[in-house]
Amino acid sequence: MGGNLAVDILIAEDEPSILESLVFILRRAGWSVESVTDGGAVLDGVRGFRPRVLVLDVMLPSRSGFDVLKQLRADGGTRSLPVLILTAKGQQQDKRIAEELGADGFVTKPYSNAEVVNAVRQLLGEDGGPA
Amino acid sequence: MRAPIGFRISNRRRSLKISQAALARLVGISPSYLNLIENNKRDVGGALLQRVALHLDISIDDLTGQAEQKLLQDLEEAYADPMIESLPFQFDERRQLVAQYPASAAALARLHRAYSDAVASADAYADRLRSDPLLGQLLHQVLSGVTAVRSSAEILEDTPDLDEGERQRFITAIGRETRNLGAVARNLIGHFENASAERRGISPAREIDDLLVDRANYFPKLEEVAGLLRREIEQDGPFGVRTLTDVLERRHGIRTVVGGEPPAGQPDFPGQYRYFPEISTMWLQGATTLATRQFQLARLYGEVAADDVIEAELAEADLSSPTAIRLARRALGSYLTGALVFPYSAFLEAAVGVRYDIDQLRQGYNASYEQVAHRLVSMRRPGEEGVPFGFLRSDPAGRLTKHFPLPGLLLPYSGHACPLWAIYGAFRTPDLAQRQVVRFSDGSRYLFVARTVQRRPAAFHEPPVMASVMLACNVLHADQTVYSQGLNLADTEADVRVGPTCRLCVRTDCASRQEEPLAPAPGRPELRTSLVPKGLALGARG
Repeated sequence: MGGNLAVDILIAEDEPSILESLVFILRRAGWSVESVTDGGAVLDGVRGFRPRVLVLDVMLPSRSGFDVLKQLRADGGTRSLPVLILTAKGQQQDKRIAEELGADGFVTKPYSNAEVVNAVRQLLGEDGGPA
Repeated sequence: MRAPIGFRISNRRRSLKISQAALARLVGISPSYLNLIENNKRDVGGALLQRVALHLDISIDDLTGQAEQKLLQDLEEAYADPMIESLPFQFDERRQLVAQYPASAAALARLHRAYSDAVASADAYADRLRSDPLLGQLLHQVLSGVTAVRSSAEILEDTPDLDEGERQRFITAIGRETRNLGAVARNLIGHFENASAERRGISPAREIDDLLVDRANYFPKLEEVAGLLRREIEQDGPFGVRTLTDVLERRHGIRTVVGGEPPAGQPDFPGQYRYFPEISTMWLQGATTLATRQFQLARLYGEVAADDVIEAELAEADLSSPTAIRLARRALGSYLTGALVFPYSAFLEAAVGVRYDIDQLRQGYNASYEQVAHRLVSMRRPGEEGVPFGFLRSDPAGRLTKHFPLPGLLLPYSGHACPLWAIYGAFRTPDLAQRQVVRFSDGSRYLFVARTVQRRPAAFHEPPVMASVMLACNVLHADQTVYSQGLNLADTEADVRVGPTCRLCVRTDCASRQEEPLAPAPGRPELRTSLVPKGLALGARG
């Protein structure tokens, strides 16, 4: 970890198959992508990779996505990092907490690939531009 | 209601083939009077009933029919069911049915009972589906699997220039995930098979719970009327025991007596306070704390002055049983009292100011720990919300005796909670608040704060009545409270790994487990087995 080159997107997701396809579709859309699979590794990942967008799953081992988000928002260096929350629960409760903690986007599993790509594109401020 | 005794006399007489005139002559009354009795148009009792029973060779108990009386009550309940109450029953039809066809009447009553149980069971099931962590975990696995399959399939469909290696990778992923999904589906089916054996009826407590969840622990009409009443009271002086005593007397003619024996009723009444409406007197046990006196006088004032508002709330609540209505009336009265003693905006401001320090809030309001904790739960006014709290109370035997839900957190309705919770730890350190950060198996984390509370005994030799009350809040809100001071909430290493109760908990590695989960994972060892598995004797492999 701790590469010198900033990446476009950091994904925090622990399900290997989901991670594999996420990495593929986002790279395919033209962005550079890195990933972590553990809640405890997200903060180091953000510091090391300096992503422009964080795609954050809620149910992560050792620390929940919400916990991570709360810490990101408490830290001046990461307060404004755009965060897209992925959740498989799809409950109103999750969405409310995500909003309260300052998430910038929210996608419910199972999603279509285009949904994720569009949400990320919006957060990167690349609306309308070619992928 | 008069028992259908006439029909029974008539039936018995006919089965013995005695004419009405003959029986009338035997017992010494006119045939027309016996006819009135047999048609239930005249009461029969005393010596006449004894003569009738004697000549019909039947016991008086059988004629008066205690069991049939009960059956009749059951039938009344069944006939009152909204589903059938509009049918054109004849006057007295139920009574005739009980008297003439008792077995059929019993069949109807039993079927209705079974039907009511089935409906309650369906309700309880729906409830359970919403809050079952095992089910939640399985559904999460389903959604994850479907996500992976859908995403991989879309890649295969939408990407024309995939190389062979990539194609193979995503096909393999789909295969792997669908196999997993199959296993999860089988698990789900097993879960339902296990769960269906576990049915319990819906309890009144659960209905109250639904009501509170439905209103998010906040009743605007009660808050409003509490505000009015508080101003009314404060016209007579500062809010407190003295002013409450005065206004009760002056406005409602209610006298307050402190100490001594209760002025009426059963002398062995164990409570700390009691209202006697027939003599307009409120009695408070001499040992009651000022906090209890203030709260119960305020409750009386609220219940007397705002009875109509409480009844209107009850009418809206759609409760099914008399017990549920009684409990809800009490709960709404308590809510109103809380709103009277702790006016919403001022209390919330004070609470935020001291970061929800319950002990500090008690000082400001002359209130008990439990009263303050209870009121904190209702800080849910839209646009003016405090930290969302759940509330639990337990007796020293571990039984949960009071319960205010927190969305997202599964607090058991009754019985007992997870033995690891601070609500039980608090009993080990009386009067000292216990806090803990807990983590449930789905990763959700909460701050629990618990403390024992004690009702003052009335005399030296009386055993103290202890309870433990606990507030729970999502760890994401915990930093707004004084109870997170000195804790590193971001550090999950020290989390206490808990569940809701053993039956609903999925943790397999818990040393505190006392009961099997409802849906044990296949292949997992059971609790309390012998050390050496059956069929594997020592030396068998050697």
